[in-house]
Amino acid sequence: MKALTRTDLEAVQIPRRRPITGARAIAEAVKIADVDVIAAYPIRPYTGVMNALAEMIANGEFTAEIIVADSEHSQFEIVKHASAAGARTFVGSSGVGLIYAAEAIVVTAMDQLPVVAIAGCRALDDPGNFGMEWNDTLFFRDSGWLISWAKDPQEALDMTLVAYRVAEDRRVMLPHFIAVDGATITHIAAPVDTPSKKDVAEFLPPYRPHYTLDPAQGPVTKAQHIAPSLIGPEQRKHVDVAMKRSREVIAEAWRDYANYVGRTYDPFIETFRMDDAEIALVTMGAYTINALHAVNEVRRDGIKAGVVRLRYFRPLPAWDLKKVLSGVEGIGVLDFSYSFGSPDSAGVLFNEVRAATYDDPKPALDFLFLGGREPKPADFVKALKILHDYVRTGDTPGGKRVFWLTLRGEDI
Amino acid sequence: MSSERRQFKSVKEIPPEDYYTSGRRTCAGCGPALAYRLVLKAAGVNTVVLGPTGCMYVANAHQFLTSPYAVPWFHTQLGGGGAAGAGTAAAFRALMKKGKRRLEDVNVVVFGGDGGFADIGFAGLSMGMSYDYPRLLYVLYDNESYANTGIQASSTTPWGATTTFTPSGKVRRIGNERMKKNVALIMATHPGVRYVATATLWPPLDLMNKVDKALGSGGPSFIHVLVPCPKGWFTPPDLTVELSRLAVETGLWVLWEYENGRFRLTYKPSPRKHVKNYMQLQGRFAHLSASEIDMIEEVTGREWEIWAEMDRTGKLIVPWVPPLKSVEG
Ligand SMILES: Cc1ncc(C[n+]2csc(CCOP(=O)(O)OP(=O)(O)O)c2C)c(N)n1
Ligand code: SF4
Repeated sequence: MKALTRTDLEAVQIPRRRPITGARAIAEAVKIADVDVIAAYPIRPYTGVMNALAEMIANGEFTAEIIVADSEHSQFEIVKHASAAGARTFVGSSGVGLIYAAEAIVVTAMDQLPVVAIAGCRALDDPGNFGMEWNDTLFFRDSGWLISWAKDPQEALDMTLVAYRVAEDRRVMLPHFIAVDGATITHIAAPVDTPSKKDVAEFLPPYRPHYTLDPAQGPVTKAQHIAPSLIGPEQRKHVDVAMKRSREVIAEAWRDYANYVGRTYDPFIETFRMDDAEIALVTMGAYTINALHAVNEVRRDGIKAGVVRLRYFRPLPAWDLKKVLSGVEGIGVLDFSYSFGSPDSAGVLFNEVRAATYDDPKPALDFLFLGGREPKPADFVKALKILHDYVRTGDTPGGKRVFWLTLRGEDI
Repeated sequence: MSSERRQFKSVKEIPPEDYYTSGRRTCAGCGPALAYRLVLKAAGVNTVVLGPTGCMYVANAHQFLTSPYAVPWFHTQLGGGGAAGAGTAAAFRALMKKGKRRLEDVNVVVFGGDGGFADIGFAGLSMGMSYDYPRLLYVLYDNESYANTGIQASSTTPWGATTTFTPSGKVRRIGNERMKKNVALIMATHPGVRYVATATLWPPLDLMNKVDKALGSGGPSFIHVLVPCPKGWFTPPDLTVELSRLAVETGLWVLWEYENGRFRLTYKPSPRKHVKNYMQLQGRFAHLSASEIDMIEEVTGREWEIWAEMDRTGKLIVPWVPPLKSVEG
């Protein structure tokens, strides 16, 4: 046999990064996490995650109960109860599917059950729309779920593993959405490094809840009807405290994850060319990549722009956001969400960013990508230019503060 | 894992232990509460109980932070009963299969009201019945109304009953004009189903033995239990069990079981009493005329021919009953 040369050895050491879709990458994470109960119901674009898991289970790659549910409402109830009985669980949906499950989603947080779910962001009906929008996931803004937003398949995999660790931490015990911009992540293949179960075994020990709905634990009455006069607000406060505590747990978990897996992330906020930036685009999710390219492009024209990406929407890292934006003269929000009739008639993310920077307000514009229409690189460049002019002249085309960027007709 | 059957032969064999105990605030004479007590006596200590929203939630594990349950109990959403049972059973199976929990029989019993199981949670119940989780029992406690929200009509409310959503009025005199949906028959038509039965509070051993059979059947099972509700039926609390008995003896509530593909009546009223014996005791039927009650009697008699045929052949027949109408004007 031919002896291995030095170059051969190096080749062997290069981590194996297979090109897989985001859907597949998430499924890999669920397998590595050794999830016990999965509940599936189809709706694109998230469906591929369940397809991949079903295939893995069918081929004996790992053992889990996979229930093909009759609806999203059942789907989320199934995992809520499986979680209460001591199982590690996985579920997900998109668009109207998520909304159909709203009741179960809300109570899962109030019961403090660490269910992990994928939100494969998709526009809401009517009319039926397969495009990407954030309003389905942001519907659960106020529900007590942790919500993180992945940028690419690799991060979606990493976020899924970290989500279990954070959700199941005794200081937290909250359910966790990993939002993935539909199709852009679920359906697009990228090179992904898949850690082994061994790599993450210590990082992610098996789920060991305090009290389970199991006769072996004795009688536990859970989620009993409550008297507002006795524990109404106290119960809410519990969830609030858990959400607040999640900040330190999230930071700790990502630090630990880097130690075990070797991939380092800033836990809450990712910045790009922000050191000397005068204007910043704030966004989440997959289109961050396009924003980075746009920044590189306008920087060639001398516009000092940067990008700030939120990795978590709940808890919203307001403290970090304020810090990274403290030096800029203008903020542009790249927003795939909208709140009809809201202040400024703007997006949900915009309103959140404005609220987070309330003490140190900055001139801000909202750039909307709505109705699922695919934005082009030029749209991001356009946003930067409008923002740049606004900071320089104090004015915008038409004096507007909110721009429907991919709109074809007149913006009335 | 063993599926021990114990079948109670006399009331003396009813275990003294209660897993549905004190610390509740149901109405006096509450039928569902009695059903809970009997079902849990039969199921025993190794049981998890799940309850969709309804009287048995709000009046039991209630707001003053007491709980009558001496076994684990967890609320589920009004439409979530089927999923809750399947999810819990799935968790036990996965954890046992993967060696994360010790191997033993654990019963999962979901108590859904008629609102919860015949209406909003119907699809989920059907899903639960289509899986093969052993020791998963769905109990529909049927007080023929949405009792917790103040007695509204459900799809198992009998024809003619007055409810807050179907009141007997000057122009619409009959009250509820839909006919009672036979949920147990529908459940029995699920492929591969092991055990489906109907029951009521009388005879109590019939209910308890059906629970025992259901849990030992090796698959998901369903028992439809008729439970009088003094508040919704406008009946005195001390009549609850008597009403159960009369429902059976008048043939309005048919006791049967469907076990591994074979149908069997478990009680044949003979002679069958006239339905008025049951209906006249209840305020919710007070507005019906004698001839309307006779019409119900007649239809009940016709249905009984079909029940008898099913008993003879052991096969399921879906009885077709002509739509009932008001006889006067
Ligand atoms: C989705 C939803 N809709 C409505 C309600 C209001 N609600 C609470 S209890 C109840 C009645 C349930 O009736 P049933 O299942 O027959 O049980 P019962 O109250 O008779 O015991 C209703 C409608 C609810 N809790 N959830
Ligand atoms: S209203 Fe009916 S079901 Fe509810 S507690 Fe009273 S008797 Fe029981």
